[in-house]
Order: sequence, then C-alpha cells, then structure tokens
Amino acid sequence: MKYMKVIKLNWGLDFSYLMHEAARFFVCPILIGLFLFSCTTKEEKLPIFGQREVVGTDTVYHHIAPFSFVDQDSAIITNDTFSGKIYVADFFFTTCKTICPIMKTQMLRMYEATSEMPDVLILSHTIDPEYDTVALLRDFASRLGVESKRWHFVTGVKDSIYKIAQTSYFATAMEDKTEPDGFIHSGAFLLIDKEQRIRGKYDGTKEEDVNRLIVDIKRLRREIEN
Amino acid sequence: MYLITLVLLGSCTAKTDNQQTYSPKFQQYYVQGEVLYIKHCSNCHQLNGKGLGRLYPPVDQSDFMDNNFDDVVCTIKYGKQGLLIVNGIDYNMVMSGNAGLTELEVAEIATYLYNTWSHKKGLVDVKEVTQILSKCNN
Repeated sequence: MKYMKVIKLNWGLDFSYLMHEAARFFVCPILIGLFLFSCTTKEEKLPIFGQREVVGTDTVYHHIAPFSFVDQDSAIITNDTFSGKIYVADFFFTTCKTICPIMKTQMLRMYEATSEMPDVLILSHTIDPEYDTVALLRDFASRLGVESKRWHFVTGVKDSIYKIAQTSYFATAMEDKTEPDGFIHSGAFLLIDKEQRIRGKYDGTKEEDVNRLIVDIKRLRREIEN
Repeated sequence: MYLITLVLLGSCTAKTDNQQTYSPKFQQYYVQGEVLYIKHCSNCHQLNGKGLGRLYPPVDQSDFMDNNFDDVVCTIKYGKQGLLIVNGIDYNMVMSGNAGLTELEVAEIATYLYNTWSHKKGLVDVKEVTQILSKCNN
C-alpha cells in the first residue's frame, strides 16, 4: 500500500511510475500469454485403428482391403475412387426401419456440414444387395436429395460386402431372420483417412457421436495439411 | 358475494372447446401418444414431424393428413405402400405399420399427431378409432 502512495505522489513526473504501468498493462500480459501458449499441447492426432506390424523401419497399419462395388449411377467404385480423399463408411439397407432412418438423418447432417469440403466423401454399402438394386439406390439417393459424386450408395456381391464390413471396417453386418428387419448390423460410421486407415468409429444413431465425427473430420483435414 | 360465487362457479363448469382439449382424458391420450410416437414413428418421421427428404413424408403440415383422417388411422396400424402425394411431393417407400398396436394405442398416437405442431383437432377417441380400423382395406 505504501508503494501505491509513492506512485500517486509522483503522478506524471516519475519515470519509474510509467515503467510500472507499462509493465502492468503490456509486458506482463504478453509474458503470461507466451507462457500459456508454449504450455498448451499441440493438437493430438486421431488414433489409427486396427493391428499394426513393424516391417523393417516402417510400421504398417491396418488398411481397408481392395474392393469393387457399383454405385447408384452404375459407376464402378473402388479404393481408387477415394484416393487422396477422406471418407465416412457405413452399412445399411433401404427397407430398414429400425436404426437406418436415424443413421441416414445423421449422415445427411454430416453431408451438409461438409458441403464445402470436396475432399470428404461418403460410402454407404447396402447389406441387402438382392433387394437394393442400382435403380433402387438411385431412387433412394435422389429422395434423400444428395449428389452421387459426394455420397456413393453401393451394392455388389453380398459376401464381399459382409466380408469387408467385418474384416476391414470392423462393423457387424449379416443376415438374421430372427431380427425384426432381417439383418443384424451396427450403426457405426467409420472415418477413413487418405491412406485408407480407420481413424475413428462413431455411433451413427447418436447425435453427439456424429457431432464428434464432424469435429474429427476437421481435425483430420488439419493433420493432413501439416 | 352470493352472486359473485355463482358466476364464478358457473364459469368453472362451462364447456368450451378449450375445456375439452385440456380434459384429463385428453391429457392421458396425448401423453401416451407422445411416448408411442417417439418409440414407433420418430425414427422416420422425426421428433419434429418433418420427415426426411422425399423418403418419409412430414406429419406436421401435411395436406394428406388434413384430408384423409380415416386413411391415416389405418396407416398407423397397417402401414402403407405405393405412391403417396403429400403437399405436392411424391413419396413411394414402404411403411410397414405397427400391427402389434392396440386400438387404444392407435387412438393415442392419432391424438398426439393431430394435436401437435400445426395440428389442433382435439381428442381422437378409441371408439371412433375402433370403427375406422374395422373398415381398413387391408
């Protein structure tokens, strides 16, 4: 308190007063700012899912296996369709009444949130290729109101789809006549990076999980930039 | 004082439209109907009744619902397929229906549907629904 009195008496004339004021308003905040800035951690990278092997000096991560399916425009869709792109994969079927409508609503939300990101695509696989023909998928996609170049709805050989779901994407998908819809399948959305590695798994029936997906897509894009 | 009391009592027992809407019976139907809607219908028609694209039609602001009450009651229980035009937009998916619903549950859902968002119809009684359901073309 005595210190303050000294300052007051020398108002306007005391150089040391000016120095103290400068310290208070400029130097200290700057120093604190620098301190905090250097203390914050760098943005953490998204994890890489699946087994990994060390081959020599390289680590080989789990990749999506080679695939070839047909989309709603009758275009052949393979891993190359996604080369240089990030994509979100899921498994559904058009007559599904239980979880799929919610998944589609959520995926549509993600589609719209990423509309300004041409490097982010969606790959929805049907697990009922017998019923979900190319024509039906085309109708479905157009009713949902989405562009096929950003959101591919694919069909193909049933066993290939089930196999890739289980072994590449770690998503359950199989026929089960005891289920109300006739299939068991998970509502998972898988986030795949430009190297075809899984970087995130989200419950497509939960709004909060899909919010997290949208945030992670932005993180992944930043990670690729750096 | 006596007159004032009479007037007040009189106004309490008057039957106006508003009174009927908030009767205990209406409230029971409505609250149950909401639970059932969330469980059986909101997946496709959404919590806000807006539907999804041209896949699932809206149940809020639907000219089809306004003009086809009996059909809607049948649809809740038995589903629907084929071309359906709602507000000038075509829909053509299969709605599988909810055959396990009781007549009372159908009435409760109908009460909820027709008294939420932009609708305001009043109670849909189970007696009315029983009659309609006996005549559905299924």
